[in-house]
Amino acid sequence: MFRQNPYDSSPYDSYTDHDGREQRQNYSVDIPMATMQPGLEVSQSAKRWGTPNANPYGNTHINHSFEYEPEFMYTPPSTLSTVDGPFARRSSDASEASIVQRRNRQRADPVFTTSSDFDRTDANAAAYNENKESQEEKIIRNLASMTTRERIKAIQKMPKTMKEKREIRNKVLMEKTRKSVSYSTEIHCCTQCMYKIALSYRRFRNGLSELFQSLQLWQKTLKIIGGKFGTSVLSYFVFLTWLLTFNIFSFLVNFSFITIPQFIAAGSNNLSFTGLELLTGAGYFQQTVLYYGFYTNSTITKIENSTSYDMQLAYIFTIGIYFVICFFSLVYSMAKSFRNNFVNPHTYSGNAGKLLCIWDFNITNEKAVRLKQKNLSTQIKEALSEGKSEDLNLSLKQRMVHIAIHLAAWIFSLGTTAVCCTCVYYLSINNLKLFMKGDGTELENQAATLVLPIVVSLLNLLTPFIFSLLELLEKFQYPRNQIYVTITRNVILKMSIIGILCYYWLNIVAISATECWETLVGQDIYRLVVVDFLFCLLGSFFGEFVRRIIGTKCLKNLGVPEFDIARNVLGLIYVQTLTWIGIFFSPLLPAIQMIFFFIIFYVKKVSLMMNCQPPRKVWRASQMTTLFIFLLFFPSFTGVLSVVAITIWRLNPSEKCGPFRGLSSIFDAVSRWIDVLTNYPRSAWVVWIYHNLIESVHFFFILTVIIIIITYLYWQIIEGRKIMVRLLHEQIINEGKDKMFLLEKLRALQTSTRDTPARKGASQQFSTTSSLYQPPGQLDQQRHLSMPNYLERPLEKNKSTFSATPPYTADFPERSGFLPGDPQRQHPSTKPGVSEALALAMRARQQAEREMEDEDEEDFRS
Amino acid sequence: MGNKQTIFTPEQLDAYQDCTFFTRKEILRLFYRYRDLAPQLVPLDYSDKPDVMLPYELISSMPELKDNPFRQRIAEVFSEDGEGNMTLDDFLDMFSVLSEMAPRDLKAYYAFKIYDFNNDDYICKSDLEKTVNKLTRHELTPEEVSLVCEKVIEEADLDNDGKLSLEDFQHMIVRAPDFLSTFHIRI
Repeated sequence: MFRQNPYDSSPYDSYTDHDGREQRQNYSVDIPMATMQPGLEVSQSAKRWGTPNANPYGNTHINHSFEYEPEFMYTPPSTLSTVDGPFARRSSDASEASIVQRRNRQRADPVFTTSSDFDRTDANAAAYNENKESQEEKIIRNLASMTTRERIKAIQKMPKTMKEKREIRNKVLMEKTRKSVSYSTEIHCCTQCMYKIALSYRRFRNGLSELFQSLQLWQKTLKIIGGKFGTSVLSYFVFLTWLLTFNIFSFLVNFSFITIPQFIAAGSNNLSFTGLELLTGAGYFQQTVLYYGFYTNSTITKIENSTSYDMQLAYIFTIGIYFVICFFSLVYSMAKSFRNNFVNPHTYSGNAGKLLCIWDFNITNEKAVRLKQKNLSTQIKEALSEGKSEDLNLSLKQRMVHIAIHLAAWIFSLGTTAVCCTCVYYLSINNLKLFMKGDGTELENQAATLVLPIVVSLLNLLTPFIFSLLELLEKFQYPRNQIYVTITRNVILKMSIIGILCYYWLNIVAISATECWETLVGQDIYRLVVVDFLFCLLGSFFGEFVRRIIGTKCLKNLGVPEFDIARNVLGLIYVQTLTWIGIFFSPLLPAIQMIFFFIIFYVKKVSLMMNCQPPRKVWRASQMTTLFIFLLFFPSFTGVLSVVAITIWRLNPSEKCGPFRGLSSIFDAVSRWIDVLTNYPRSAWVVWIYHNLIESVHFFFILTVIIIIITYLYWQIIEGRKIMVRLLHEQIINEGKDKMFLLEKLRALQTSTRDTPARKGASQQFSTTSSLYQPPGQLDQQRHLSMPNYLERPLEKNKSTFSATPPYTADFPERSGFLPGDPQRQHPSTKPGVSEALALAMRARQQAEREMEDEDEEDFRS
Repeated sequence: MGNKQTIFTPEQLDAYQDCTFFTRKEILRLFYRYRDLAPQLVPLDYSDKPDVMLPYELISSMPELKDNPFRQRIAEVFSEDGEGNMTLDDFLDMFSVLSEMAPRDLKAYYAFKIYDFNNDDYICKSDLEKTVNKLTRHELTPEEVSLVCEKVIEEADLDNDGKLSLEDFQHMIVRAPDFLSTFHIRI
């Protein structure tokens, strides 16, 4: 049956049968031969036929973009490919339920490729194999010349099956060992040794990466969340774990370099512990390592006359280095995120194209899948209706009204922010007075200190709701704008509240007559963090749990709440900012924050699972994450840096507490240390660096200028690239037009040549082409029909797309009788490649144009 | 750790590590996931390369794929026989491409194949219609579906041949940054 197939399901049928489907299928048959990718590709598919694989067509395209060195070779279409035609047609005809068919083909193919009845096929197969081998050798040689790491990466990236990848890998390894052996038989032992070392190093690295991977928290939980809620909600939790690792790191650093030495030198704590301290952070905690004030200013020596540990320097350097590391890791993740997610944001238009990338393969929950599908269909419907209504231009009046509403909303939100800030300011001053006076009982005092943090948290919690009410009024045209505007307003609110608090700490508390203002600031921040944490818990209880109860029990049309990613992430950014500010005043704050983040993760997870549904709108998770990392860097981290810098350089540390007591500014500790160091000639380089780099204005001036110049240069390069991209884009479009034009021309030409057997012009036109690729003797037999094909191939090389027209398939019958005498000759692997193809295309086009002109002229004359 | 020696030889593990984006541990974990699908079929000793192939029905019953509308295509694309029956190699291949580490180009290549329902190396309108129907569970009317598909082709088809080639697709993927994180199955 199989042997019959190729011949009786004759291509003639498909030629004569011109219904649309057949045509399409024919073209699918045509591709593997006609795409002039071949060299490698046909061989690829040939190879695949040897192994049981029903997907040769899938692979013919493989190397188009992953090709190592595209080679322009002509492999004549053979019985092998022709034979495959009918099968392929069938299998794709019944692409959904084609199991039987495909089985047939798998069994059939080896029959064809190996059967001795088909000598021709054999010859061709041999040619293919040879071809394939030379290609593979090339790849292997390429790979062998790479370093181990590059090689592994290259192999990993190959879009091939495991078997092929493994084969290639083994061959590469063989090649490598062979080379090394042939190079140096005498130092064989040495290479062996090196190889072993390299191998063990690699294993060690792998082990290390495994270790890191197992250290990553909550892999499983994240998977469940992703499965149920998709990537968008997942991004919140990923952000949370990211911040958590930040805090764990900073805790480890602070604990080991500041706290542990302090423990050694610590005095006893004689304050009583009541329990309220957990909330207020005052009282008992005042005399612990939690706050700046408790740390000693002495050098710690455990054993007499041995090296000592200078607490001042430890404090300042630990925190300084921590901030530097934070800075670089933030910049790094921001840059990475930008690079991955803001690729060419300008060059695209419309969203329909995204349809193909929109499915979230993370989602594994059945309900979530349903919901996602439903959301997608509504989105598509919305988009379609939007597309229709977009043309409606708003009248001037309407536009004015829109602008007025936006303006009013902005004024309102900024006004609210201002009111909040004044409120916080007066409360904080009141707070300080309360501290100073200290009348009333201890308990009352402590409770009173909680007023400020509670008010701040309340403002932080409630004002965003007011802002979201504004959204309803404003009615943005695009939901994206709405998200950005809301985020901007919230960021302004939170950052100005923190700004006011910083002003209060640095300008009012720091110069007040308190005993130890740093500890006071530390306590304030501690309270803010704790109360914010409590409010976060309450928020997920009332905002999500109670809301769900209401939504499902009382007001059915409210429904289950959605998880508000933006609000939650902004909350995290706010708390992280506070923690960073607090690090200087309370070195163990990251530990507390760490515990809180840990709890928040679980609470949010449970609340999410119990109460929420995935967000309906598209949340562009990657871009949003990038934005949030940027926010964490720009107002937040840079703000913190400036606050800490002011504290260190400008402010007077308290006189009676903390590691820097008695100094005029905290940075004095460093300059004193440098003064000491000048006495030691061995550490002269430190002194030199300090004087010439850190203290020198000129150095920073020059540095700034250089950086500005580099930035400017890069900016110009980017501008140039943008133009380049635009031009290339235009070029692609033009090429597409070219191709369509050419194909049309060809079609016209072909019909005319078929009508009149006058192929003189044609053979002239293509003789150069054909002789290049075609074994002599084949020419006469094939000329009139193969002509268009030869043209197509170069074209294909160029554009990789091809729309089939029925006449082309007429080649098959003749081709099937085609037997190349010499496999070497038929693909004379001449280097031409792309340029050749281009030249051919150009020539063909010129010819076509000339003809057209001629025709025009003739028309004109007649 | 003791199991490592009995399931794969170190050379096998090295080869797997070189060919996928996984570490040893992940490869072993995936092996166990694979084995859990059919404990009676899959031996615990892979050092002599047994020729085991799990049928599509078992593969698609994995919780990671069970509800994915494209599960059949995924299995077909990654299986060597094109029917969704998978050997361990295919299985590892599939999750390697769908892992976090896989580069954009590789992901795009396989995503393209997944959406290319009729295996003709182009995403044509019929492929798109199938995709849209799978994405929306047949909630759109045929007119809407065809309108959407036309829009997609119109937008993404750079060379105006009425269908999307791999290049068109890759070009489109570059503009959709979320693709990297969404074309990802955690294991």
